[in-house]
Amino acid sequence: MRSLTSTVTASLIALGGIVAGTSANAATICFAFQDLETEFWVAGHKAITTTLADQGHTVLERNANEDANKQLEQIKDCIAQGVDGIIVIPQDGESAVTIVKEAQSADVPIAVFNRPPTDTSKGIVVVADNKTIAEQAVDYIVEEALAKAPADKTLNAIIIVGDLGDPNAVGRKDGFYAAIDKHKDRFNVVEVASKWDAATALANLEAAVTANPEVDLLFTSSDFLFPTIRSVFEPRGLWKKPGEDGHVMMAGLDGDKTACQLIKDGYVDATGVQDLYFEADASLKAILAAIDGGEAQPNEVVQDPGFALTQANLGTDEMKMWGCVLLAGK
Amino acid sequence: MTRSMDKISDFVFRNATYLIFAGVLIYYGIQAPSFLTPESLVNIVKQASFTGIAAVGMTFVLLTAGIDLSVGSVMFLAPLMAGYVMRDLGMPVPVAVVAAVLTGVVLGSINAILIVRLRVIPFITTLATLFLFRGFGTWLTSSQQFDFPDEIRAFGLSGVFGIPTPIIVFTAVALVAHLVLAHTEFGRQVYAFGNSPEGARKAGLKVGWIQARVYIICSACAALSGFMLIAQIGRLDAAFGEGAEFDVIAAAVLGGASLFGGIGSAFGAVIGATLIQTVKLGLVFTGVNLYLQPIIQGVIIFIAVLVDGMREKQVLAKMKRTIRPL
Repeated sequence: MRSLTSTVTASLIALGGIVAGTSANAATICFAFQDLETEFWVAGHKAITTTLADQGHTVLERNANEDANKQLEQIKDCIAQGVDGIIVIPQDGESAVTIVKEAQSADVPIAVFNRPPTDTSKGIVVVADNKTIAEQAVDYIVEEALAKAPADKTLNAIIIVGDLGDPNAVGRKDGFYAAIDKHKDRFNVVEVASKWDAATALANLEAAVTANPEVDLLFTSSDFLFPTIRSVFEPRGLWKKPGEDGHVMMAGLDGDKTACQLIKDGYVDATGVQDLYFEADASLKAILAAIDGGEAQPNEVVQDPGFALTQANLGTDEMKMWGCVLLAGK
Repeated sequence: MTRSMDKISDFVFRNATYLIFAGVLIYYGIQAPSFLTPESLVNIVKQASFTGIAAVGMTFVLLTAGIDLSVGSVMFLAPLMAGYVMRDLGMPVPVAVVAAVLTGVVLGSINAILIVRLRVIPFITTLATLFLFRGFGTWLTSSQQFDFPDEIRAFGLSGVFGIPTPIIVFTAVALVAHLVLAHTEFGRQVYAFGNSPEGARKAGLKVGWIQARVYIICSACAALSGFMLIAQIGRLDAAFGEGAEFDVIAAAVLGGASLFGGIGSAFGAVIGATLIQTVKLGLVFTGVNLYLQPIIQGVIIFIAVLVDGMREKQVLAKMKRTIRPL
């Protein structure tokens, strides 16, 4: 436990250290986020605000409660207050474009954290390579499922898709198909809409499983939906560990605490991990460097390559996943 | 000939919602025969029950020509309070259900006081409380997910004789609401108020108390609906219930409730909620492209409401032409 606590502390100190190296003057940063409804956003929020505060910067926090118009007004308010820079987690890709434009028109440097604008040519954009990360996670469960199935059997796969207005959701969907299409003839795919809403996912997944009771493989575009999946699978005898009859190969994406616990328990086989601390670090470094350099309209795309944590590499890579770090810290 | 055509057109307009419902079922059944299996139909009613419970409550409000936009926020805040009661006070599920409904009663009372005592119009009042209630819940949770104790999922996934608990609760709520609206003095007063508030007041009815009670009933139903839905998942996130008010109002209106008051029934809300869910889940069954699903949903619901509106006009026109009751 002590070593794990040290790991977390070291990560935050390292993050702070890197940032300290780029910024000598105290700045006022507006941190506008769309909400904190998942563990990923909570952890990202904590990493950014804690590090900025530790470095002596003033943080103006603005929670838009999932309202894109409200977020734009909050950004305008921050600009009016004369902030030195803005870090934003936008509600969607389209509103992000407007927000970046608004900030750059006022000569305030802006960094977009994790959820990219549809036009990534403007502003500092820090984003996970959703397609590749999803593909890695799905590759693992596809190979495992095929290895266990008879050679002539067609397998049934379900993908729970996020909000199609969110570029992250589209990237994850593309990554899923990139993996599935390598064995196109072996899979029937059923798409389930979630709109990033647990209740919508519950209703649609229940219908999908009723229509297709034999499920071999499932990919959820976000780990936060695993409790919902459990609610649908458990009564049908599909929520099982590997080796138990009825086990469905499952993968997610995010790398949160719930996913970490479920991988350890064996219910989930893989998850695509966004390197949250790398993304937070990259956002802070870039925005503070722009402020120090007097650059008002920095344009840069920083990509988080991420990785997939699977049952195969759990022993070695567990502590690379932010959700496992948080879980151990609990 | 003309007379028999009139009869047919009368029949079609009077039963428009049911006919559209049957048409949707048949269409999806042909496209995906498993859609009409008992398991699938039970699932549709189960998924409809969450919106349906709230829609039954909303019908009371619509009958008075009012509106309650805060139901989605009540669906979020009430189960959250029940969650605290379970997690922090160690109370069992039945106590949590009562806590959720009581929270709904309190929230409904706030709406009622603002509307009846301060005379702020329902649209503005409930728009404000939509933000107020959600804001309070967001403040309590700091926007973070709230995990309920495991017992709640055992309750949510339970059933009696194979009938899922949400359907039983939905049926009970609809029956009680029907009895209240159709067979009690209060029910008649609600219709009277909806048809003519001034007439009801002149007739000596305590119109303020009638109006207050419908908002309390609506919030209590929304609270119960939110609790039943959370009991399925076991985790409440900050966005839970957001936008649910639109589904709830659509279900009640689709079931025949008029936004202008005086027309509607509890069973209509049941049909409306079930029709909406049938449309949604049928799209999943038939594997319609995800980008097209919202468009098709919108079109079917629009057609249903349009035909319902035409029916209402037709019936009113008939009533003008005859001295006999229809």
